[in-house]
Amino acid sequence: MMNGYGGNILRVNLTTGKITKEPTSPELASDFIGGRGFGAYFLFKEVPKGADPLGPENKLIVSSGPLSGLMIPGAGKCDFTCKSPLTGGYASASLGGIFTAEIKYAGLDSIILEGISPKPVYLCIDDDKIELRDASSLWGKGTFATEKELKEKLGEEFQIACVGPGAENGVLYAHINHDYGRQAGRGGVGTVMGAKKVKAIALRGTKPIPVADLDAYRKAGMALFDACKKSELLKPWQNLGTTMVVSWCDEIGALPTRNFSAGSFEGGKTLYGPYMREKIVITDKGCFACPSPCGKYSRMKRYGTNVEGPEYETIGMIGSNLGLAEIEDVAQANLLCDDWGIDTISAGGAIAWAMECYEKGIFARADTDGLELEFGNVEAVFKLIEKIAKREGLGALLAEGTKRAAQKVGKGSEKFAIQVKGMEQSAYATHNATAMLLAYMTADVGAHHNRAWAITYDLQVGRELVNADKVARVIWLQHLRPMFDTLGACRLQWVELNIDLELYPPALEAITGVKRSWQDLHLVSERIWNLTRMYWAREQKDFGRAWDMPSPRFYTEPPKSGVTKGQITKLDDVNKMLDMYYEQRGWTANGLPKPETLERLGLTMLVA
Amino acid sequence: MSAQIKALGIIKSYIGGKNEIIVDAGNTVRETMRALNIPPDVVALVLVNDTQQSKDYRVQDGDVVKLLAVVGGG
Repeated sequence: MMNGYGGNILRVNLTTGKITKEPTSPELASDFIGGRGFGAYFLFKEVPKGADPLGPENKLIVSSGPLSGLMIPGAGKCDFTCKSPLTGGYASASLGGIFTAEIKYAGLDSIILEGISPKPVYLCIDDDKIELRDASSLWGKGTFATEKELKEKLGEEFQIACVGPGAENGVLYAHINHDYGRQAGRGGVGTVMGAKKVKAIALRGTKPIPVADLDAYRKAGMALFDACKKSELLKPWQNLGTTMVVSWCDEIGALPTRNFSAGSFEGGKTLYGPYMREKIVITDKGCFACPSPCGKYSRMKRYGTNVEGPEYETIGMIGSNLGLAEIEDVAQANLLCDDWGIDTISAGGAIAWAMECYEKGIFARADTDGLELEFGNVEAVFKLIEKIAKREGLGALLAEGTKRAAQKVGKGSEKFAIQVKGMEQSAYATHNATAMLLAYMTADVGAHHNRAWAITYDLQVGRELVNADKVARVIWLQHLRPMFDTLGACRLQWVELNIDLELYPPALEAITGVKRSWQDLHLVSERIWNLTRMYWAREQKDFGRAWDMPSPRFYTEPPKSGVTKGQITKLDDVNKMLDMYYEQRGWTANGLPKPETLERLGLTMLVA
Repeated sequence: MSAQIKALGIIKSYIGGKNEIIVDAGNTVRETMRALNIPPDVVALVLVNDTQQSKDYRVQDGDVVKLLAVVGGG
């Protein structure tokens, strides 16, 4: 029994049907802590080089962390790691809600799905009673109907994580849905679950979690909750959640507009947070142990539907990025993506690319199944989401992601596939914001923002500035933010409520019995970062600097409108930043970890 | 005629670490920020008497204006 841990790794071999448990190794917990640390370790160690992401050798590793399921603010984060069908590299997606807590209560730390089931199944975990059950009646159903049916069948207290038809049909950016409105969104983690023919994981646990020092844990947990309650930022954050920044991003040129051709959207006002709150929001919704529920539950009167959302990312990628100006339409599109089971960010990126193809005459109406794919055409967006999920017509092309789609179509469309490493860039326009641009270039899963978010920093020190401090800042954020995904708790209490980071180490020590400072935690993050870099290098031929380059739009095409009109980063500066980044990370000029860096991080044996 | 500016989080560093400062009413929020050497772009959210307003809102006598930066993002 390890303090702070569920205690076991569950292995489910879907090919043979064999289910086994092994105790969680103390060395693993010591070196990689949990969550995405465990995910990275098992991925590198156990998924063989060259594995087909949709084949039996890939594994889906679902991991909780030492803070999960305990009385720590936001202790509801779960990591899903696998080889990405979208990028061919490392995929890790973070799921909120309650699922991660239940993993710990079932006496587990990781659930590893291996092989491929001969027929659709769902994994049912009821404490120690674990079995694969027939899911043929669920196959083909949307995520909401699936979760509802399983909860009705098994009991409300079961936590459900499931995939929709998007995953079943092999959309390369299919997601995993939980608690109706939460997702492990990016990189195709849902696609892998669907390829394994696992429709859902249903989970209930009733075991206690051992902690090292009960009194100290209570004290440290209460100190964290107290800091959240006392924060001046609690009220505005809870009121608007991530939609708080829509107006601001529009103001500073960060709101992606019409396939990232600009950073401000003239139709933006009817996407802003307060407008949304008034027009469609019914209530706030939070995750496990969250004192600052940022989820927004919305009612779309025009469509007679409800959705949890939309979040900033969806508002950016499906709203302004597609030229859609009305929040109710964006909410409806959000709902369609959630139910069909596809990532709103990548779907928005893919549809935006298709719209620009249509605008430039690369697609004619014959290529778009008769759809008038103009920016702003709401009906076309709704129809295209369904086509993508079903992989029908143009949807089949877009389901592959913009990198592959642009490679197939050619005609210069590669220049406006806004992606890095094959993952569509998420919702911050980076025409003139060098720290954020570097963040997108070097994020470990592809162009995703949640590793390093540096928008305010760019504005504080100077957008176009390129210097060692900026690079150091990005690296610091790349270690700090993902550590929360390793610990299994939400980072937004620190990020949005500005509570003192130093409140976390005492809680972690009281729970696990192991004293770790933030310096110690940064080292673990650095270890994970280098391991996943080595994973890319192993899996992608000629992996290196070229894979870190941003979409050329960000060094060749200054916006023609909006706040950043006429502003663009120079290619010279892009390269300068990358040079400094590699140097600071202890990597070669081509972006590969040097042997001495691997040695310092204790990775030499693992990556040999 | 005066109003109260409350600096939240990192905004404090622009006004010498103070939590709040009294200013003249009658200017826009943007003008008020510039006068205090707070770069308007860095402020993500402006709450006037706890309601979100744009930076072009003209500050009135007795208003409590909270200025907030998003340090961490999504």
